[in-house]
Amino acid sequence: MFLGNLASLRYFLPEFAVTATILLLVVLHVVTKSPRSTASGFLSLLGVGAAIFLAGVAPAGAGRSIFEGMVAHDGFAVFFKVLTALATLVVIFMSMDSRDLAGRSQAEYYIFLLSTLLGMFLLSSATDIVMLYLALELVSIPSYLLAGYLKGQERSTEAAMKYVVYGATASGVMIYGFSILFGLTGSTQVAEIGRSLAAGKATLPMLLASVMVAVGFGYKIAAVPFHMWSPDVYEGAPTPATAFFSVGPKAAGFAVLVRFYYTVFAAADPGTGLWRLTSAVDWPFLFAALSALTMTVGNLVAVKQSNVKRLLAYSSIAHAGYMLMGFVLLSSAGIEAILFYLVVYLFMNLGAFYVVVLVSNATRGEEISDFTGLGSRAPFAAVALSIFLFALTGIPPFSGFIGKVYLFAEVIHRGVYWLAVVAALNSVVSLYYYTRIVRAMFFEEPKDASAIPVPAVSGALLVLLVAPTLILGVYWEPVARIAADSVRMLAF
Amino acid sequence: MIAPSAYLLLSAILFGIGVVGVVARKNILIILMSVELMLNGVNVAFVAAGSYLGDAAGGVFAFMVMTVAAAEAAVGLALLIALYRLKETVDITELKVLKW
Amino acid sequence: MLVEYATVLVFIVLGAVTVALMLGLQRWFAPSAPSAVKLSTYECGEVPYGSSWVQFNIRFYVVALIFIIFDVEVALLYPWAVVFQRLGFLAFIEAFIFIVILLAGLAYLWKEGDLEWVRTLQDTPAKKGAK
Repeated sequence: MFLGNLASLRYFLPEFAVTATILLLVVLHVVTKSPRSTASGFLSLLGVGAAIFLAGVAPAGAGRSIFEGMVAHDGFAVFFKVLTALATLVVIFMSMDSRDLAGRSQAEYYIFLLSTLLGMFLLSSATDIVMLYLALELVSIPSYLLAGYLKGQERSTEAAMKYVVYGATASGVMIYGFSILFGLTGSTQVAEIGRSLAAGKATLPMLLASVMVAVGFGYKIAAVPFHMWSPDVYEGAPTPATAFFSVGPKAAGFAVLVRFYYTVFAAADPGTGLWRLTSAVDWPFLFAALSALTMTVGNLVAVKQSNVKRLLAYSSIAHAGYMLMGFVLLSSAGIEAILFYLVVYLFMNLGAFYVVVLVSNATRGEEISDFTGLGSRAPFAAVALSIFLFALTGIPPFSGFIGKVYLFAEVIHRGVYWLAVVAALNSVVSLYYYTRIVRAMFFEEPKDASAIPVPAVSGALLVLLVAPTLILGVYWEPVARIAADSVRMLAF
Repeated sequence: MIAPSAYLLLSAILFGIGVVGVVARKNILIILMSVELMLNGVNVAFVAAGSYLGDAAGGVFAFMVMTVAAAEAAVGLALLIALYRLKETVDITELKVLKW
Repeated sequence: MLVEYATVLVFIVLGAVTVALMLGLQRWFAPSAPSAVKLSTYECGEVPYGSSWVQFNIRFYVVALIFIIFDVEVALLYPWAVVFQRLGFLAFIEAFIFIVILLAGLAYLWKEGDLEWVRTLQDTPAKKGAK
């Protein structure tokens, strides 16, 4: 049942909060004298906080399709809205603290950040290919600008230029796939397209369309071979923006990937918690291959990196590969595992980047050599970074371990043993390069042994990021339950 | 009356020229133009499908694509100016500060 | 259906014939005596110098970028205008909000000084950090 435009408004409050904040930021920028004031940062915090509150407590009602079927208001969308807004909140804190951005106009930065957030909200709830395309571009275009925000720095501008070229091409290929789907089915509604495709038999155009759409989504989650942009962009962008790219748009990319493929090319078997393929296209196999390729390339190339930002970029590619494992299983337990992993990944990855911001504020560098002796220079930050890195590896008792257990258990349960073996081997490889940083921090002599001060506010935020990483390693029941509920409310 | 397949062929050719341009050319300006060509190929497909099916959604989608393409081009060109000021080149093979 | 297009065809043919006639007649009647001065590019009566492939002021580029954005956003109002009467007052409000958001963007440009044709050096943020 579709709701009309006016009736939909009250299910759209989080998006309104973000939009209103963006407009306020523009007005604030126009009327104020000093564009470098931190007022815009606090205003954005307020706006994103309001959005989280509104998304979390918005009137329930799973399976409501609002704005004439453009957008879904369901548990799945709410889960991703809260997740991406939380990531944005942490990134705003990080940005206010970062020396990369100090001395530059602040308002525009937050405008781009919040525009991306709005795009992610819409991307995780879009049920119409027109809205889906617009949302994807609303995520992409401000991201280009965020990556190139350090105008005058060659690294940043070059990264942004590459991002534009890759991004525009990938979305062009994706939308060509959309045009094929529209031509085949005569509908822009995702659910409607799925129904007509299930009835028809046109296999070759369908195969073409599913591959072309996979290019667009694969670029968004940085899956190999569509990952080429991500290491460059991650290294060149301001560090808080890098942290943001590695969590926010990636999560939204997974949301749209699941929603699109599980609606268009598969149908739920009621009662069993499983999906079955409705088309002749064997996309789960295609994505299983991508998953194995993604984690292998990500981990192997990460081994060679000397820049910590770039190393974390490749590690985040590898993590996209792990999460893709849950996507190919055609079971709700698989999707639950992705959702749970995303929550865990949010805290550990943002935490790792936050320590990078703190260290590079002091050392003006992000090479591994800048981290030597951090154990004595800033003991607390070093311990926190070690916790995040061990969690990223998937070592018990940290949260990353539980996330991986959920993924592996479901992969084995569904009998895709080869993928589980590849992923296990990859985890071993990742241990090598994560411990390289830990070793540099604790067992190598620093060139400059002066203490790195960690301000009280930064320390508090670090504690807030460490806490979930530790707690979710021993007491994960509630988050897993929320993830399960959200998948159950995946309605179109 | 022109058969719908002719339009689809035209759109595929436009899209193909665009893809070749993106892959083969070195000048970033020309790469951005090729991306526009790809998107215009998509537009032809949407409008043709929409008019064949008698569904206005195809035309609406084409409008949206045009708008987004303009925004994307504006951002891309603005970044290109910033890049040219720094490096005095628009050759994509010269972008090698960031590698592996 | 096809007959309606005949009007267009007649129009195109008439247009082509008119242009051909004009150009053909002057070629036929006018005396032809080309010389180096006559064949040179017309540049307001001055003797032309240099190639036409010169660098333009970057301001042209920026203004063109601004124009493109606002121009294409207006294209979105066309479908709205077609069905406006059927959709009623609500559609009017929606388009109004859309235009207000665009106006906020215009105000931003104004504040940034991107609408000024001549920018002094201290206005230009990029120049501030230059050595």
